[in-house]
Amino acid sequence: MRKVTTLAEAVASIPSGAHVALSGFAITRCTMAFAREVIRQGIKGLTISQCVGAMDADLLVGAGAVDRLIYGGGSLDRFGRLACVNRGIEEGTLIAEEYSSLSITFRYLAGSLGLPFIPIRSLRGSDLMKRLQEHDASQIAMVNDPFTGEQWLALQPLLPDVAVVQVQTADEEGNAWIMGPKWDNTEQARASKRTIVIAERVVSGEVIRRDPERTVIPSLLVSHVVELPFAAHPTSVYREYDYDAGQIESYVEATRTPEAFRAYLDQYVYGVKDHWEYLERVGGMRHLNSLRADPILGY
Amino acid sequence: MDLDYTPSELMATAGARELQDGEVVAVGLGLPVVASFLAKLTHAPNMTILFELGVINPEPIHCGVGLADPRVWYRANVLSSFVDILGAILHKGLVDVGFLGGLETDQYGNLNTTLLGDPRAKFRHFVGSGGANDIASCARRTIIIIRHEERKLKKAVSFITSPGYITGGDSRAQAGLRGGPSRVITDKAIFGFHPETKQMMLLSIHPGNMLDDVLGTMGFTPIVPQHLPYTEPPTQEQLRLIREVIDPQRMYMG
Repeated sequence: MRKVTTLAEAVASIPSGAHVALSGFAITRCTMAFAREVIRQGIKGLTISQCVGAMDADLLVGAGAVDRLIYGGGSLDRFGRLACVNRGIEEGTLIAEEYSSLSITFRYLAGSLGLPFIPIRSLRGSDLMKRLQEHDASQIAMVNDPFTGEQWLALQPLLPDVAVVQVQTADEEGNAWIMGPKWDNTEQARASKRTIVIAERVVSGEVIRRDPERTVIPSLLVSHVVELPFAAHPTSVYREYDYDAGQIESYVEATRTPEAFRAYLDQYVYGVKDHWEYLERVGGMRHLNSLRADPILGY
Repeated sequence: MDLDYTPSELMATAGARELQDGEVVAVGLGLPVVASFLAKLTHAPNMTILFELGVINPEPIHCGVGLADPRVWYRANVLSSFVDILGAILHKGLVDVGFLGGLETDQYGNLNTTLLGDPRAKFRHFVGSGGANDIASCARRTIIIIRHEERKLKKAVSFITSPGYITGGDSRAQAGLRGGPSRVITDKAIFGFHPETKQMMLLSIHPGNMLDDVLGTMGFTPIVPQHLPYTEPPTQEQLRLIREVIDPQRMYMG
C-alpha cells in the first residue's frame, strides 16, 4: 500500500470528533502544519491528547477545532502560557482533563500494551485527582493489589483514533526515526489505532535498514506518510532547525485578544492555500535557512 | 547591609548545598538548574541530573528558554523519554531530590501550579502539572524554590497540583505517598518541616533580612525556633561559577 501522500489528504482522513494524539512538547516537534491544515479543512469537535500541552494544541483550540483536551499541563516555555487553552478552560468552552506528564504517559503505555488499566503512584492526595474523579465516566479508580492488598490508583488506557507524529526522517512505508528525546511519542503511536507520520524528509527504505536501531515508529502502525520540510515551524525540530522566536512571539501577542487571533489565523492559516504558501508568508527560504540547526549543537 | 550577591544567587547556592554527591536530581528550568549545576561543579561531581522529557546529565553551553529547548539537551549522556525518566527512574523510586517551584505554596508545602481563584467559579488557569505532580509524589524528598511574598506563601492554596504534607501530621502517608518536601528556599529565608506536625518551620534567614520582615510577608505563621541562624552566604568561588560558567547571560538568575 502506498502511504506517501499530501498533507491535505492525510488530514482529510480524520473525521470531525476524532481523538487525535499530537507529538508536540511546548515549542518543539509540534505538528504545526498539520494543525493549520485541520483548521483550513474545518474539522471540528476533536479530542486532543498529549503529555505536555504544546503550541499545536493551543492553535487548534484557539481556532475552535477542539472540544476536549486530555493533557498534563503545558506552556510555550518562556514565550508564554497556552493562552487559548487557558481561556477555553476559564470560560468553560473547552473540556479539559488535567493529569500530569507521567499519568498521561502511563495511560498511553497501558494502551500500547493492550492492558485494561495501569496503577500509578502519581496524582494521589492532589486536587488533580479529585477533579478527575468528578468527571462523568471517570477514567481513574482505586484498586487493591491482588498480591499484597495495597491500595493503588488505577488509570484507564488512552486509545486515540490517530497519532500525528512529527519526525525527522521516515521511509515511504512509514518506518520513522525520531532524533533527540521522544517524551511520550513512542507510547502515543503504539496506543493509537493508526499513526500519521509527518517527516522533514522521506528517504529510501535502504537508508532506514542501515540504521534500524534508530527506528521509533515501525511501518505497521502507520497509515499515511507526509514529507514536508519545516512542518513544525515555528517550533523546533532537533538537528533540523531552531524555533523561530519572532514568530512564536507574534503568536503569543495574537492570543491576547480574539480580534488579534482572528487576524493571525487570517494571515497564517486561512490566508494561505497550503504549507508552501505559509513558508513564503513567514519569510521564505532566506529566513528559514537562518533557522537551520548546527550539526554539532543540534539547534 | 551591602551584599556582593543577589537574592537569586543566594537561593541557588542554598539549593546547591542541599544536594549531596551521588544523588539523583530531577530538575525544572530556572534557579534549580543553576543550583544543580553549581553542586555538580563543586561538591557533587557524581550527581545525576534529569530533565523529565528524557534528558540525563546534559552539559549545555547556551541557556535555553525551557525544557523544550535543545540548548539544554546539549552533550547529554542519554536522550530518551518520559517512560524512561519519570517511569523507570522516578516512579521506581530512584530519584533522591526533586526541585519544584510554583504559583503558591502553603504551610504544609502543598504546591499550586494550576490556577488562582475559585476552581468552581472565577479563576485564572496557568501551567498545570507537567512532571511536577509526579516528582512531588515519587521523589524521596523535594525542595521548593519560591519568591517570598504574601501572595505566594499562603495559608491555603487555591488548588493542590503537587501534594506536600496535605493537611499535616500523617495525612501524606494516608494518601498513599512517601517522601515529601524537605526544604522551602525563598529570597528571604530557608524553611524545613516539623517532624510530627509537618508544619513549615524557619531554619535560617538570609543576611540583611529581619525576622519581622520575613514573618510579615507571609500568609501564615511558621514555627520559629529559639535559635535562628543566618543563611550561609555564597562563597566567591560559587559566585564566580554562577556568573562566569553556569549563567553568563543571566537568563536563569534574572
